[in-house]
Amino acid sequence: MTAGRRAPGRVAVHLLLWGYAVVALLPLVVMLLNSLRPTSEIFTAPLGLPASPTLHSYGRVWTEASFSTYFLNSLVVTCGAVLLGTAVSALAAYPLARHDFFGSRVLGAYFLAGLMLPIRLGLVPIFYLMDSMGLIDSLLGITLLYAASGVPFCVFVLSAFYRSLPGELDEAARLDGAGDFRIFGQIMLPLVRPALASVMLFQFVPLWHEFLYPLVLLRSDEKFTIPRGLSQFFGEYTTDWSALFAGLVLATAPLFVLFVLATKQIIAGLTAGMSK
Amino acid sequence: MTRRWISGAIGVLALALAACAPGGGASGQGDDAGAGADKVTLSLWSWRVEDVKAYEKILAKFEESHPKIHVEFKPFQATEYNNILATGLSGTGGPDVAQLRAYGGLQPLVEAGQLVPLDGKVEALSGFDGKLLEGAKGYRDGKIYGVPFAYQTLQVLYNKKLFGDNGIRPPATWDEMIAAADKLKAAGITPFAVAAGPDATWTLPIVHEIFGNARYGGTAFRDAVLRGEKKFTDPDFTASIKLIEDLKPYFPKDVVAVKIPDVQALFVSGKAAMYPTGTFDLAPVLKADPSLEIGVFQVPPPPGSPVTTPVTPGWADGSFGVNAKSAHQAEALELVKWMATPEFGQLYANELKQLSAVPGVTPSDPLLAEMAGNYAANGAPYMLLVDFRYGQPNGDAVFRDELQKMLTGQAEPKAVAESVRKGVEQWFKPGN
Amino acid sequence: MPRWRVLAVFLLPALLLYSVFIIYPLVTALNYSFFEWRGIRQVGFAGLDNYRDLFGVYPYDQQLWRAFWHNGLFFAGTMLIQNTVGLLFALLLFRYRRGKRFLQAAFTTPYLVDPLVVGYLWSLLLNPTFGPVNALLEAVGLDSWALPWLGDTRTALPIVIVVNAWQWVGFPMLLFSAALAGIPAEYHEAARVDGASAWQTFRRVTLPLLTPAIGVVSVLTFIGNFNAFGLIYAMAGSTGSPAGSTDVLGLLFYRVAFVEGGVEAIGRSSALAVLMFVFIFGVSLLATAYFRRRERMLV
Repeated sequence: MTAGRRAPGRVAVHLLLWGYAVVALLPLVVMLLNSLRPTSEIFTAPLGLPASPTLHSYGRVWTEASFSTYFLNSLVVTCGAVLLGTAVSALAAYPLARHDFFGSRVLGAYFLAGLMLPIRLGLVPIFYLMDSMGLIDSLLGITLLYAASGVPFCVFVLSAFYRSLPGELDEAARLDGAGDFRIFGQIMLPLVRPALASVMLFQFVPLWHEFLYPLVLLRSDEKFTIPRGLSQFFGEYTTDWSALFAGLVLATAPLFVLFVLATKQIIAGLTAGMSK
Repeated sequence: MTRRWISGAIGVLALALAACAPGGGASGQGDDAGAGADKVTLSLWSWRVEDVKAYEKILAKFEESHPKIHVEFKPFQATEYNNILATGLSGTGGPDVAQLRAYGGLQPLVEAGQLVPLDGKVEALSGFDGKLLEGAKGYRDGKIYGVPFAYQTLQVLYNKKLFGDNGIRPPATWDEMIAAADKLKAAGITPFAVAAGPDATWTLPIVHEIFGNARYGGTAFRDAVLRGEKKFTDPDFTASIKLIEDLKPYFPKDVVAVKIPDVQALFVSGKAAMYPTGTFDLAPVLKADPSLEIGVFQVPPPPGSPVTTPVTPGWADGSFGVNAKSAHQAEALELVKWMATPEFGQLYANELKQLSAVPGVTPSDPLLAEMAGNYAANGAPYMLLVDFRYGQPNGDAVFRDELQKMLTGQAEPKAVAESVRKGVEQWFKPGN
Repeated sequence: MPRWRVLAVFLLPALLLYSVFIIYPLVTALNYSFFEWRGIRQVGFAGLDNYRDLFGVYPYDQQLWRAFWHNGLFFAGTMLIQNTVGLLFALLLFRYRRGKRFLQAAFTTPYLVDPLVVGYLWSLLLNPTFGPVNALLEAVGLDSWALPWLGDTRTALPIVIVVNAWQWVGFPMLLFSAALAGIPAEYHEAARVDGASAWQTFRRVTLPLLTPAIGVVSVLTFIGNFNAFGLIYAMAGSTGSPAGSTDVLGLLFYRVAFVEGGVEAIGRSSALAVLMFVFIFGVSLLATAYFRRRERMLV
């Protein structure tokens, strides 16, 4: 870390980092290649270049499944959920981390509790809850559920970041006469922005892939999210892997774009933080 | 800056939520509002996503003769279907008619009172095969809750060309079968396409049925176990498990790592000659290579078997039943009544290449006809599925895990039999 | 504005959303464990019967402890491999210039793919019949290394741990990177002026200052590992193939609740979930308290 003097060490670092990058990127390549070959070839020759590459699977995904609709639904639901979940968590984590008030410990534990349970456990009660609220087959219902499911993770991580900020910050601001909302909005929030970006990304990805709840809560084709739509290719005894891979490539590509944008945000935040 | 960021975020969120709000709420009720005043739309749920087109074709026939009913076919992923159905039947916007699992898989719905008993309502059921109707009955009340749609039979599929090339004929005795397997193995061909990998443990009891049913004594043994006269630790049952251990050299290498798509590919590409499996695999195999010439044989009884003729084990695949909460019960009954007619049975058999449960329907496909004939002549129940899935742990599940353990070399056939006995006795009381 | 009102504005939105859509259903589900079930119909109070069944009915009595032990191994292996490598990458990338963002993105890419798909892809790679890993090993003459991998009771769990680490390594890397960036540069300067070596600086300055991040990563890893499902399900099926050597609590829950069905499924699976919750929550609270104390010792 300290020096650029020891050449063999540097070469080893380069080798390690770039070598691992290759290993890390392999799945996308395999997925891409498999989406270009027929299902039978996926099993007999899963790697290597497709014998006769074809975009047939993409066509099928686009026409047989209304992929563009699913895509839009996924986007609305996931973005809505991540923004809502992060916004309420960013608010809640601040007093939990930086104020010692009556019950703050208990509340912290209360928020942590939601992280500990397999989400599948709540399937039956969540179905009845949604049913009683008229939210079966509703994108709003899914959005609220998703948003709520991100709260424990967000509160947990953001609390840690708020806590790591020096205590003098709010004291100084308070002496200047700033209220809690000003301190939060103008001092705290900008400082935890890198954390916000990571937290949003880490919420976004599992929600984008979630298939069980859409399967149980959504009924009509025009409201399906991508994973719900793709589940139509999983047969009882046969799975249309080729179409599935094509769908997965289409589903994962936006995550990649989002991620590249998010790292920019994270790094921008980090450098800003360091220059202080 | 920050404030602008937050208000921007909230604005986007508000827009996003507003955009999807109109779609929320009251669906489910208004489905049929636009389709003419007196036309009823039935929702039909199924776990067969691969059958959408076939069902649309079949249901179009129904709509021709029932112009006031429109049926919407909704398939769900098979692995999650049970939960979706259990919740769906109890809430709004659920199915009117649903495809139901058979035997033990049906009981949670029956015992929760979610289905309409069909006794006396669907007259044609009295003509159905009693063995198949068992799959659609309540375990405690004995009432019929669904119209069986198909049954599965178990046998060995073989590659005719590979048999011809190696001078092999479908075996008439167990020893002939082993000799054929040796010959194929020497020629570099996997004799039996058997998978025991992560996705395939459920096929192991099926493989056991195919090779071992006659060895443990078929229907007679089953009846003895149900009456409490015999247990799974019986020497005959243990010997039937031992057969699988003995056949392991003829399975693919590292069989415990081999998955179902692998063996399908092995069989379809001519790298494996025989595929011990159920009727359900015929359509996928032929879809992968329609030109493949397939034959079928029943496994000859192994030496020492109490049953001396070949056996074709089988079971009822499932049924179609009516949601007790359906708002259109009369129409739903019309649909399941139609599903008990030969018209539906024939359409089903032709479109889906499955064995219809409706009496009098003959499969047009010669292979299926052969399987159906074998079952009619030498049928026996796949006992662990048919009789031992009514409690937890189900006998099938224990057996599946233990067979895989045996194939990794960590359990003896005797220990496998002992585990099945122990598992089943947690809930099973003989003589009921 | 009174203090409680300020607090309410901060806390209420999250509390409301979270309580209605997560806590209420989960508490309801936990309550299910004390009742007797017939399918989806609740028939009567069962006391602790469902719990007794978990510990007393074969084979659950054996599978429960086996799964618990595997979860422990899974956690230990993940801490050792995933989080150490994540920290190493964060440190190496901290002062790295060219291609830094690309590398960060590349390392995190596997996380973007659904765990079910990751599991499936690795099964393809490690497949002994058609897979390229063994083909490669045999091609270079290492036939004895061409193991059945996921079909061998000795190698299956380690492989699952490594693949899981491969998928998740970007997560500790990003969190550690953010934490590293938060350490004032003067601290390292001061250490260097004092003549400390790189390793000493790391041990005495960097590592202690990373305590909050290590705490967050450890607790989240613990929770994630004890709830693990998707990847293992894709690689080892619902039974924890082969011969239960990869069976974990998440799979056991899935089997009891969904696969093996049965009319008592809801009661028994809820009881299992309560046990998992009590254990995971208890340990997480202790661990958070511990790391909180370490943090305060720093200040």
